[in-house]
Amino acid sequence: MKRFEILDHTADIGIVAWGRNLPELFSNAAEGMFSLITDAKVSGEGFETEIAVEGEDRVELLVNWLNELLYVFETEEVLPGDFEIKRIGPVSMKGRVRGGPIDYTHHELKREIKACTYYQAAVEELGPTLWRAQVYFDM
Amino acid sequence: MAEKWKGPLERLDDNRWVIPRTYKQGMRTDGIIYAGKDMIEAVLADQAPEQVTNVACLPGIVGRSMAMPDIHWGYGFPIGGVAAFDRAEGVISPGGVGFDINCGVRLVRTELSGDEVQPRLKELVNALFRDVPSGLGSEGRQVFSQRDLTKVLTEGARSLIKRGYGWKEDTTYLEEGGAMAGADPAEVSEKAMKRGREQVGTLGSGNHFLEVEVVEEIFHPDIARSFGLFEGQVVVMIHTGSRGFGHQVCTDSLRLMQSAMKKYGISVPDKQLACAPLSSDEGKAYFAAMACAANFAWANRQLITHRVRESFETVFGSSAEKLGMHILYDVAHNIAKLERHRVTGKELDVCVHRKGATRAFAAGHPALPEAYRAVGQPVLIPGDMGTGSYILVGTQRAMEETFGSTCHGAGRVLSRSQADKQSRGRDIVAELQEKGITVMAKSRSTLREEMTEAYKSVKAVVETVEQSGISLRVASTRPMGVVKG
Repeated sequence: MKRFEILDHTADIGIVAWGRNLPELFSNAAEGMFSLITDAKVSGEGFETEIAVEGEDRVELLVNWLNELLYVFETEEVLPGDFEIKRIGPVSMKGRVRGGPIDYTHHELKREIKACTYYQAAVEELGPTLWRAQVYFDM
Repeated sequence: MAEKWKGPLERLDDNRWVIPRTYKQGMRTDGIIYAGKDMIEAVLADQAPEQVTNVACLPGIVGRSMAMPDIHWGYGFPIGGVAAFDRAEGVISPGGVGFDINCGVRLVRTELSGDEVQPRLKELVNALFRDVPSGLGSEGRQVFSQRDLTKVLTEGARSLIKRGYGWKEDTTYLEEGGAMAGADPAEVSEKAMKRGREQVGTLGSGNHFLEVEVVEEIFHPDIARSFGLFEGQVVVMIHTGSRGFGHQVCTDSLRLMQSAMKKYGISVPDKQLACAPLSSDEGKAYFAAMACAANFAWANRQLITHRVRESFETVFGSSAEKLGMHILYDVAHNIAKLERHRVTGKELDVCVHRKGATRAFAAGHPALPEAYRAVGQPVLIPGDMGTGSYILVGTQRAMEETFGSTCHGAGRVLSRSQADKQSRGRDIVAELQEKGITVMAKSRSTLREEMTEAYKSVKAVVETVEQSGISLRVASTRPMGVVKG
């Protein structure tokens, strides 16, 4: 299964992500988002934080989760290595992100994502073991 | 790529196209798109017109839902969107401002000619690249204390001038005097404060830039003289916004608006258009936080201006005063403003949302500095990094038709992946150098995504606003040196 794919948009950029379940979907969406920022890979060592977000539905949870990750990336200056979704409920979720510090001399940061938007944002259950999400980012 | 828009479009004249409100249920007014005959096909190529009609559905909209000729597909509002809402009955929407609150453009004049700068150009671009932090990451950044940042949020550019980063006269030549009223730091989250602490005076990335330009053509000599412009003159254009601070304010507000919509029984065709009545607690809270971000952006461009003056001083061995580095003007192109306009013969208090659109007030408006009051407001229109920019002036027609608004730039025509494909294997820096433009950038991807072919012709955009009478061309510039994030 493909984990994510880039969506074309004239001014901005989006992603579609897939997962066998909601935790995998949220994790793949996060990877898709960071693939837009950098191709650099870091080991999941050196930095670890827990992220808890709330939202009125799954779309809000996804958008809030991704925006929270952008906040961590910018303020902590770390690149996430892996994401672990601990729990996703109807209106709240909890995840853990591990990563390492950005090395500006070796990691090329391709672009800046300003934020994850709600525009045409979707989280859908396509089958018993297939979920799909879509979001656009403001670049 | 995006689906082509297939809705109805009525041609009003050569430069204006109407989407009638009968197009879909929920539209409270018509949509209108300003675009030349040659541009309209490109406008219809994606879902930007649908976004014009979505904005037409928002409660309390006054006049039409408008789009300037640089319209392109955004999120919520289209980029190039303008809409005004009644102060008493209308709404305010963070989606009508965007994440980069008060992204805008400042133009700094010099008394230097292109010929004088050319021999030192490499050195100058190097100095600017070194002195103004750009790209991602905090290298070389100035850290602001909580107290100083709070002052930035309420006093905007003035807070920095007080600390020695600028001249006393500077605020006279900034929209809103560089500090919007109504800013309340109590409405700003801890997260936004944390993101903002190290970002005052930073350019950022993407389409933001710092450009050394030379005035190429003067269209209206009298107005150009009032703006202090002459042919062959070197000017500096600064294009950036409120950085992570503004992005966080918008993110926080969208969450607040989602719940407010339920409370006030508002439904919108796109979640990104979440809004609240201007008169509600949530509407007021967003306005107060947005004003903080707007002030952050004016302070950001102020500190960059200071660094630019310092770089010129170092390279040319003369003071910025002697080099004549006065600010020509500074405009916001992502903002919601409380303004009074004449609507069908009556004075009306409205909240004008400009998302990728610029205020363009006509001569005589009290908001203009005295030096420009007889001619009108300078409007700064950046082009792409290979073709140069324009300085326009606001007109009476804009006051009557577009709530004193006009275009803001070229507008993208290629998506980032299309630009990436078309530029693969090319050396954009060398190509620009061949055209006589020296470029320095933190990221090679940014350069490829921002190449000339990725944008509409800014010339066609400004010709359309001139032909439709909502602004006049005063001067054009061409780039000499570019700094990108």
